[in-house]
This record gives sequence, structure tokens and C-alpha cells, in this order.
Amino acid sequence: MISIMDVYQLLPKTNCKKCGFPTCMAFAVELLGKRKAIEDCPPLVEEPKYEKKLAGLRELMAPLLSTEATETGMVIHPERCYGCGNCVVACPVNVASDPKGTAIGRGPVSGKAILMVEDGVVKCVNVDQCRRFGPEKVLCNACIVTCPSKAIEFI
Amino acid sequence: MCDDIEAEFEGGKVKRTMNLCRKGRAHYDSLSIDRLTPAVGGSEVRGEEAVTAAGELLAGAECPLLLGFGRSTLEAQKLGIELAKKLGSVIDDPTSRQGLIMERILKGEVPTCTFDDVRNYADVSIYWGDDPSSSHPRHLSRFSYFPRGEKRQRGYEEDREAIVIDVRRSPTATIAADGFFQVSPGGDAAFAEALLAALGGKIPKVEDKKRMLNLATKLRKAKFGAIFTGPGLADAQDGDLGWFFSLVARLNEFTRFSVIPSLPDYNTRGLHQSLFDVAGAVSPVSFEDGIASGPKFGVTGLLESFDAVLVVGSDPVANLPAPLARKLARIPMVAVGTHRNLTTDAASVTVPTAMAGLEAGGSALRSDGVRVDLEAQVKSDRPTDLQIVEMLMEVV
Amino acid sequence: MAETEELLVVTYRGIFQEVEEALGIYSDSYREESAVLFLDGSDALGRKIEAGRPILLETSSGKVVVAAKISEEPHPGIAFMPRSPWSASLLPAEVGEGGLLQLKRFRARASPAGEAVTTIEEIGERIRVF
Repeated sequence: MISIMDVYQLLPKTNCKKCGFPTCMAFAVELLGKRKAIEDCPPLVEEPKYEKKLAGLRELMAPLLSTEATETGMVIHPERCYGCGNCVVACPVNVASDPKGTAIGRGPVSGKAILMVEDGVVKCVNVDQCRRFGPEKVLCNACIVTCPSKAIEFI
Repeated sequence: MCDDIEAEFEGGKVKRTMNLCRKGRAHYDSLSIDRLTPAVGGSEVRGEEAVTAAGELLAGAECPLLLGFGRSTLEAQKLGIELAKKLGSVIDDPTSRQGLIMERILKGEVPTCTFDDVRNYADVSIYWGDDPSSSHPRHLSRFSYFPRGEKRQRGYEEDREAIVIDVRRSPTATIAADGFFQVSPGGDAAFAEALLAALGGKIPKVEDKKRMLNLATKLRKAKFGAIFTGPGLADAQDGDLGWFFSLVARLNEFTRFSVIPSLPDYNTRGLHQSLFDVAGAVSPVSFEDGIASGPKFGVTGLLESFDAVLVVGSDPVANLPAPLARKLARIPMVAVGTHRNLTTDAASVTVPTAMAGLEAGGSALRSDGVRVDLEAQVKSDRPTDLQIVEMLMEVV
Repeated sequence: MAETEELLVVTYRGIFQEVEEALGIYSDSYREESAVLFLDGSDALGRKIEAGRPILLETSSGKVVVAAKISEEPHPGIAFMPRSPWSASLLPAEVGEGGLLQLKRFRARASPAGEAVTTIEEIGERIRVF
């Protein structure tokens, strides 16, 4: 997960307010919340002395801004995935909604599972059911800690 | 061997799969990759001609050796053993030593259970020299760690414990996190000795005494233990596995600890069972002069004494130590199999067969001994292993 | 002399190597997954071995050239190698106690190689021809 401090360190730290926020820290919060874009910080984009910081920030934010990230912030790296289904079986939403399938280690049977293994790798569907979704999200990490290959991350 | 796979095929190729792991998917994809073709002396022939040549080669031999059969159906394995009897030959599966553990299990000297028992009851899973996350990817999710079971309703965090003993931090060890115990190569017996001491309330002779004592307490308090043995346990020892069997016996004084070996091929257990039923032992078994078994009869013995080799569904030339592989490649060889490999490249006669579970049916034993019936899912012109062995029985 | 000391090579299997094995052992990707040796950083340094470069491995059974990789975790004196035709080329053929082969580990000399990584065709040829 990207930390606020990591983002802040890559901003000019001048609190120039050109972005419309009082401090660089406040802008960092907006950036992470995807309510503002990197380009909304004019000095960072325009001044050559921030070139390195800009490149670093773009790299740091790339996974968050990529289209692969689902709305919960989940990014699946299929090239790393073993298709073992640990996340499928450990996911609390799957356990609750698919007691005769994923809860007991099998493939999903109820049609309500949100993680499943297709073509040898994991896939996420019905993202809105994930515990990390919506305003009352919970920072569940069942699918991450059970992965043998760091194929899932939240950003 | 997973029974919840859904697959769609198109034109003999796999198109979409559900619930199949990455390794399983590659197996399905291999339907259309590097398939073996019938050949005699390097020239392509018709299938029947290859079988006839194979039969002649074997019938003319005085001392033939049969290798493989771990990827054959139970039916083909049983008839393969009959063929070995008829030829007075030796049957061996030299690329794994799990047979040493399996023999003790089949004799009833080491307790075992099914994977479903593990899922329903096990609160401690020990993976010893075993990395099922890599070798059997669904092991932990289907049975041994993550699923809910009859007495394991609360999920792995509260209900189960994973212990990994290995020389390296494998993917399975990463999942076990604090349950990972690193041993030096060949240090398994010393680890077991320290654990035995700790189980007996003595101070173990290891660096981290507290950690070993905690492990012993955990194991003593276990309600149902499962031990999965991998190649790092079975294949890596210089001496015998007596220390392992002693530890298992000691653990069973506290509660039931069952052993299930993680086997290399889909029907290795079937071969072990079939050989055990006939010979009371697991490979190598010799039918040369009655029935006898022991390492000296197989490839580790006098390889020069064999004058013909039949390899079924295996690649010993690629897996045996090079000096033995070179000796093996000099013996006139028949290779029966689904795909081209270094053994089929070295064979005088190659006989292609259908892939069981995809192009052909049959039955097999899972490594916990549960019988699984396989069904053909796509059409194939290739004969099954069983049909090939039937034809060879007629010719010799 | 550290650089002439033999390394204890322990074999293992990884899923991506097994996947490539199923997808065809004559492919470049199977070789890239199989013909590698994971060294400890200090062991590599002492032998002037660089990550990604070819290294020659020798035992009494044979020799092969594989690509060097440096592990993140330290394991001085030990190297890890996928179990494959490349590692089998180096396994000892002598049986140990109980008449059994040691299929899991061996001692090997490791040094920078001037030639390219051995191909599976070369391994097959050496077995068949010599």
C-alpha cells in the first residue's frame, strides 16, 4: 500500500498553494484519494529541478492509476499467480456467500463468490461485495497474506 | 486429480478452465504441445508397427527393465506388473524415494488418513521438505490449511496451525510465516532429535531452545495432526528414514498424527499400491526369479545387466544422474508416453499414448489412497497405456 | 581459497519451472526457468560471478553452464538449483547407505563461464553420444 509520507516526500514541500490546497501534505491526501492528479501541482510538472521527484512520484502512483486496479484498490498480477486458490478459500466474503463451494476448499458453486480461479489464475468479480468497497470499508487482507507469490496487492 | 474442474475445449485444444491451478492449466495446454509420434530407429512409422517392434525388442531380451508407470492408470499399472511377471523383469520408479514411506504406510506401520480427514479434523499440518504451494498448488486451499471442515469451522487463523520444516524459505514456508523452521541440508534428523528431546520435556540441543519447546508444546496439544512429506524429506537423506518413523511413533503417543506423502506423479500411489498388492513391497520389484525387492534390483544396481528397457510415461534419462542416464541410453529402449522428452529421444522405439483424464479414462489413486475415476474429455486417436500394454502382452 | 571451495547445491522445484516443463522442455522459457543457480551474494563475489552471467558448474558426474542469480536471503556455502536435466547432469551416480541415490543435493565447483548456457539438446546429445 502507498503511504501518505511516501507521496509527500516526492512533492516540492514548499506549501505554495498553487494546487488550491494549503499544504503539500493536504495535496498528498487528495492525490492518494484520486481526487487530484499529479499534473495539478504546477511546480512539480513545470520546474526542471523537480524532474527526479516527478519521475519518482509517477512510478509510485502508477499501480494506483492503472486501469487494472479495481475500485477497491485491488491489483492482481496474473503473471505471478499460482492459481492455488488460497485467496479464494480464505476470502471472508466467499466463505459467507458460498458455504458449499469455496468455504470448504472447492471451486465456487453459489454464483456469489467474488474471487475465483479462471484459466489458471485468480480473477475478481462483483467487486462491490469486497469488504474494502464502499464508504464503510474494512481493511481486510485475507487474500494478500494467504498468497504464496504476492500476486494480489491493495493500493 | 481435482474433481471440481470445469473445462471447455475447441478443436482438441483447451479453451477455458475454472478452478484449475496454473500447473493444471499447463497440463491441459500440453494437449497440443510436443506430442510423441510413433518411430522405430528414428524413422516415423505407423502406430501398430511401433507396437510390434516394441514387442519384438522386449520378447528378445533376457533381462528387461520396466521403468515409470507413475502416470499410468491403475488398470495399465496392474497389467504392466503382469507384463513384468511374464517377462521375468524388474519394475522400478527411480526418480522418487517416497516409496520408502509409502511402503510403511501400506504395511500399516505408519498411520495415515485421507485429505478429507485433514480438512475436517486437522488442527496441525506439518509440511516436511515439502512445498505443496509449488508442487500441488491446491493442497493448502482444498484440504490442508485454508478450508473450513467439520471440526474446523472457524478458519485457519484460529483453527489451524501450519508448520514448515525446510532448507529454504519456500512459497509454503512464506505462508506458514512464524511456523517455518529452517534446517541445514541434511539436518532433518538432527532437527527431529531435538524435537524428540523437547517432546520428552528435555532441553533440546538447538540454538533457539524456546522456539523448539514451543513447537513441542503445540504438537503435544494437537487434536489431529497431519504430516506431509516431500522430496526434501524422502529424497534428501543419506541414511535411512528410521529417525522419521521414530518421531511419528512418538507423536502418536500424544494424539493421532497421520502421514501423507506428496507424490510426484498423478498415480504414483496407484503404482505403489499395485506393486504392494502383488509383491508386498514398493519398487523396485524383481520378477526375475520369483518375487524380490530392494534397491539393488533397480537402476541403482547393475544397470549393465539389463538388455532391454521399457519406459512408460516417464523421463528417467532427464532425471537420473548423468552417468546412469548415459548407461540407460545405451540399452535398447522402448518409450511409451504422451510427450516427447529426453528418454523418447534416446529410445529405439517410441509409442505415443493418450493423456489419461483428458483423452482417455481410467482410474487412479490420489496420494491419500482415495480412488478417482478419470474420464476422457476430448477425442483422440491415440491408444491408452492399457491398450499398449495389452498389445505387448500378446506379442511377448 | 574461497573461490575454489565447492558449493553445496540443493535442488528444489518451483511452479513456473513445472509449468514450462509441461508446456515443452525444448523451449527457451523452460531453459530460462531451469538452467539457473541461486547463489549467496558473498559466494558469488568470491568467485567473481555476476548476476545474470553464465557460470560453469562441475562435478565428477559432468558439467553444465547455467545462469547465475543472487538470492535476497543469505545462504553462504549453499546454492539452490531447480531440479531439472541440468541438475541431473551433476548428480552423483554412486549409491549411498542403503543402496540409494542422493537425488536432492551435491557438491559442485562454480566459476564464471566463457560459453553460453547449456541447451537441453546438448544435454540430450551428451547422454546419447558419449
